Amino acid sequence: MRVGTVMGMKFSPRAMGLFLHDRRWLIAALIVGTILYFVQPPEGLSREGQLVLIISLVAVILFVTEPVPLPSVALMIIIAQITLLGLDSSKVARSLMSDSVLFIMGSLMLAVAIVKQKLDKRIAYLIVRATGTGIYPICVGISFVCGVLASIIGEHTVAAMMLPVAVTLVTLTSNNPKEVKGLAAVLLFSISYGCAIGGIGTPSGGARNAIMISYWKDFFFDPTNPETRRFLVDYVTWIKYAYPIFLLQLPLVTLILFAVFKPERKTLRRAVAKLRKQIEEQGPMKGRDWAAVGIFLATLVGWVTMSESIGLGTIALMGAVFFLIVGLVPWNDMNSGVNWGVVLLYAATISLGVEMQASGAAEWVATSFLDLLGPLNMDHGMPLLAAYTGLTTLVTNTMSAGAAVAVLGPIALRTAELTNENPLHLGFITAISSSFAYFTAAAHPAFTIVYASGYLKATDFFKVGWRMAIMSAAVLLLAAKFYWPLLGL
Amino acid sequence: MSLGGQLSRTSLMRGMVSFLREKAWLIIAFLVGVVIYNLPVPEGLSREGQIIIMMVIVAVILFVTEPVPLPTVALLIIGGQVVLLNKDANVVASSLMSDSVLFIMGSLMLAVGIIKQKLDKRLAYLIVRITGTGLFQISVGITVVCGLLSSVIGGHTVAAMMLPVALTLISLTKEHTKNIKGLAAVLLLSIAYGCAIGSIGTPSGGARNAIMIGYWRDFFFDPTDPATRKYIVDYLDWMKYAYPIFLAQLPFVTWILFITFKPEHKTLRRAVAKLRKQIEKQGPIKGSDWAAIVIFLLTLTGWVTLSDRLGLGIVAILGSALFLMVGLVRWNDMNSGVNWGVVLIYAATISLGVEMTQSGAAEWLAVSFLHLLGPLHMDQGVPLWAAYIALTTLVANTMSAGAAVAVLGPVTLHTAELVGESPLKLGYITAISTSFAYFTAAAQPAFAIVFASGYLRTRDFLKVGWRMAIMSVVILLLAAEFYWPYLEG
Amino acid sequence: MPDIDIELEVEAEVEKRFSILVCIDGSEESYSGLRYAVRMGSDNSANLTLLYVRPVDQGLSSGGLQMRVARENMLKWGVELPGTKALKKGRDMLVEMGFMADDWKEQVVHTDITGDPLGDNTTVYMNDEGASISLKLLVSPSVDRGILDECEIGGYDITIISMTETAEAKEHAGYISPSTTYMVATQHRGTVLVARELEEDHGHFMCVDFSEKAIQAAVKDARIAARCHCPVHLYSVASSEDELEKARDVVAKAKAAIEAEGLSIAGESVEIGDPVESIVGKGRKFSLIVLADTSVKGLRRFFTTSVAYEVLQKAANSVMIVR
Repeated sequence: MRVGTVMGMKFSPRAMGLFLHDRRWLIAALIVGTILYFVQPPEGLSREGQLVLIISLVAVILFVTEPVPLPSVALMIIIAQITLLGLDSSKVARSLMSDSVLFIMGSLMLAVAIVKQKLDKRIAYLIVRATGTGIYPICVGISFVCGVLASIIGEHTVAAMMLPVAVTLVTLTSNNPKEVKGLAAVLLFSISYGCAIGGIGTPSGGARNAIMISYWKDFFFDPTNPETRRFLVDYVTWIKYAYPIFLLQLPLVTLILFAVFKPERKTLRRAVAKLRKQIEEQGPMKGRDWAAVGIFLATLVGWVTMSESIGLGTIALMGAVFFLIVGLVPWNDMNSGVNWGVVLLYAATISLGVEMQASGAAEWVATSFLDLLGPLNMDHGMPLLAAYTGLTTLVTNTMSAGAAVAVLGPIALRTAELTNENPLHLGFITAISSSFAYFTAAAHPAFTIVYASGYLKATDFFKVGWRMAIMSAAVLLLAAKFYWPLLGL
Repeated sequence: MSLGGQLSRTSLMRGMVSFLREKAWLIIAFLVGVVIYNLPVPEGLSREGQIIIMMVIVAVILFVTEPVPLPTVALLIIGGQVVLLNKDANVVASSLMSDSVLFIMGSLMLAVGIIKQKLDKRLAYLIVRITGTGLFQISVGITVVCGLLSSVIGGHTVAAMMLPVALTLISLTKEHTKNIKGLAAVLLLSIAYGCAIGSIGTPSGGARNAIMIGYWRDFFFDPTDPATRKYIVDYLDWMKYAYPIFLAQLPFVTWILFITFKPEHKTLRRAVAKLRKQIEKQGPIKGSDWAAIVIFLLTLTGWVTLSDRLGLGIVAILGSALFLMVGLVRWNDMNSGVNWGVVLIYAATISLGVEMTQSGAAEWLAVSFLHLLGPLHMDQGVPLWAAYIALTTLVANTMSAGAAVAVLGPVTLHTAELVGESPLKLGYITAISTSFAYFTAAAQPAFAIVFASGYLRTRDFLKVGWRMAIMSVVILLLAAEFYWPYLEG
Repeated sequence: MPDIDIELEVEAEVEKRFSILVCIDGSEESYSGLRYAVRMGSDNSANLTLLYVRPVDQGLSSGGLQMRVARENMLKWGVELPGTKALKKGRDMLVEMGFMADDWKEQVVHTDITGDPLGDNTTVYMNDEGASISLKLLVSPSVDRGILDECEIGGYDITIISMTETAEAKEHAGYISPSTTYMVATQHRGTVLVARELEEDHGHFMCVDFSEKAIQAAVKDARIAARCHCPVHLYSVASSEDELEKARDVVAKAKAAIEAEGLSIAGESVEIGDPVESIVGKGRKFSLIVLADTSVKGLRRFFTTSVAYEVLQKAANSVMIVR
């Protein structure tokens, strides 16, 4: 008996062929990179800028095609910055860490801690008590609650927490999944779209928001010039801009879901009654439940009041610290529940984004993009905003929202400067439309988590996704046209 | 049913009391912190420096007593820097990352890769075949291998490489007995101490050695005066002074470990037999094994040859990226196999060390320490050396060895001149005694790496550390008194 | 150190127990493979492993929160994960068929470093005689990789995998597609049984060619067939008249080798024609077409399709490739 290797690979030509076939995109990306490395930089682009663009291009190809584990792409970005750009390793290491990365890390730790508290049952109870047993109100309720929570603690947290509620409702209605396909789709999508549209509501809703805020600050804020203080976007300002967009989308989401999937039942009386009973077995809130709620609220208050002075990230970390100190979650759960590769990935892409701005690569791409839009008369005003919404939606559907903002952010902000648009507007457009990753199950964190329940088909996502994307883009552009100017920033 | 039901008062009280008892050390640490925070600022120390010293003390108490998961302490340090020192969150965040943190991260990932390929088993078997199956012989063997290797390529590298070996032996023993605490401690600490005592052997053993050589040259070498040529210390000179000290310590290490931990088993026969069987089952080395070996050897070569240009950390990261890209290990294995908390702890400690130097707290400590010595007639000869060793050991336990030499080096060399001691001697003493940072898990990278295995508690380091420290100090003093004069004569 | 040697010998003996891996994807066909496995281990003398491989979730697409957290939360609610459902159905079938009794000891193993944290969960049931049934839920980048991994690590004597394309089967997350099956059958270095409309009781159709390996394979198959009391029919194809004698010779040799093991065969036949066509045609009325993998490692395995793989593609019923 021959015991082989872990990956089942041998050094036979066939295995070699398979191995190469699996990594064809890696090879393609590296070849593209090498060719571009030897091409003369085009006019208006420095050699350094060219190198940064090559790194970004190769990274994007790898992000989209995923021939290798994504964290290794992050590691490659770090290595490339040092070897290709000739930067000092400790300097690059330092550029990896910023408050937004701490925020990503902290909020993931918080996410693990919060999911581990059994608060989902309490929330489910509140929802069904408020909405009654009709399927329409229940769906609106789920989307609303998911959205509000996701706007504060991130969509993945809420999706992971609320998923069992929907699945339980489905299984309590019928044991045969085929009978309740439409119902399952409506309930589960209510969660995922609630999370998706809610995540833009506040800065702490997702990494993309934190990244955009730090870009504004890095690129435009000048301590000597009081005029530029408006580029220090605080928690409340962000809410003013973004929250109404979330609220506007809310009723439309449920409408679209009901139009696409026709649920088999109009009322869930029996399931809700059973669910209530199940929840009531939990008994009253205990000390540790209150502690969890308390820490969560304290973190929220910290974000609203202090995020400007000590940073979103510090507060998120402190929230996680409290969960650990009180003993509500063991460190081991956090160690294995957080995907540290994602933290690395964000760290690397943000550092690349900053490098893009510094090396002039962002400016070159922005100019080229504008040159493209110019003939179409789209290089200013609403058409420009629409173009960026489209571009971001496209990019975010192929890679993660945070990475999309990290890469597109500097370009969008440069464009705004070049065209005399308000950088805040274009920044919000980019950050918000990066959450329109509706087309596939893997595009959005909340979708991935919900898809894992096994009740949805992969094709369902696109079926409802394109309708939602049009709706979201329309709402966003309307808000940008009519609502944001009222805020007068 | 009301969800916010009344909690009975007695159960609340009981819960509170047990909670407080569990967290007694946390409260004590915080109280100590508050007291120091409110003390008047001592002369010569900035307010900032005082806060830093307060944070160091609190952190050390928490590290040693472990009332909360250790990564919490790291997060607290980060938060403390932002909140107490009023530093910008971005600045603190970027001070967390440096090449050596990347190194720790990279080498922990590499270790997972090696374990996945089961190369650790082969290496372990190789060692065991030479040493036999007695635990004492095995740990001597491990210490010798670690010491010899680390004197050339640096302790952290070797620790990363050997950790899987010890883990193999431990986990094989664990299969048939539960009592392995002492055994695990002996094996793991054999690695840690082998690396610690070995890394002083040659200039390439650690950054601190190179830093000290640089200082001698910068401060004392005068091209016009041939007498000062002795301050240009080359590789061989260094070895003449330091290598015998490493060799002299070797036999004591295992002995002290055995006295301290009293391992439960005196022989690993069963584990070794199983190991042999597993290796026989694995069969000859195959394609993917070779790939792993090649990658690892490349990394090792990179560490030796490229580290001054690219940095150790980048090479480590490159190695782990290759492991991932070739598909020898999956990201999920790394994610759960690497103890990310240790990375956090190390990052926070380093950032604290940097802060300590920048705020002048380290220098203040050194100077006031010397003031204390004056009246005790310890300001010359062996007593002075002893005092310096004690000081260096103390400082090196709170920050990285390189940083400790960087801070203390100038003070030491300055003192040597003032009191008419040989700057070479005091320089060696400082550089060598930085490796006596035995007391906390985060004091040395090698310690952090073995600590990441999860078999050790921070208390274990303290328990054996003081014995080892005394042994090392005695040997160093003996060498300085009796051996070094030979070399100079 | 005699005590250890004895201990190791005992361990080795335990490992010698015949072990079967059944790949389950929730489809009907995969359960028919399970039924066949039960026949093979009818006297509880075989270790049975049910494997469900779920494709890995990329951590990135869940925004950095490991899917494990979400899954654990679902389990806490008592909601079953897709894979567990399929495995539990398999276990219930085993109980129904009387292969497994309720008094088997249950043991849940979750491996962290050797496996995937997301879902490498194994439930092992053991009876007093040391026979075990394991339900394994594995997460892997792709289904074929996961199955191959498990095949290699577990060192199973035989791997049973289904080949089906029904719409019902495709809905399962761990659906074993024909290309997956083909990949496993060609890449694995152990014996693979590809279950396709597997009917029991029709015996093995053992095809031998002129290689030494074929004789060994025939013996091995005879041993496997003896486990489930299936009759073995020996068969060989000659491409022309001249080879007919050689073919007869081979069959006789195989028969002698099998009988030397104390086993017997139910019948034998030789034919002239195209190997693939004749085997597929003749083998149709048997439960299983059994072939030896006689292809050479390396280049030929990469470029040419050997008879075994062609039969695998063209046959309408189950095929077993013996290695």
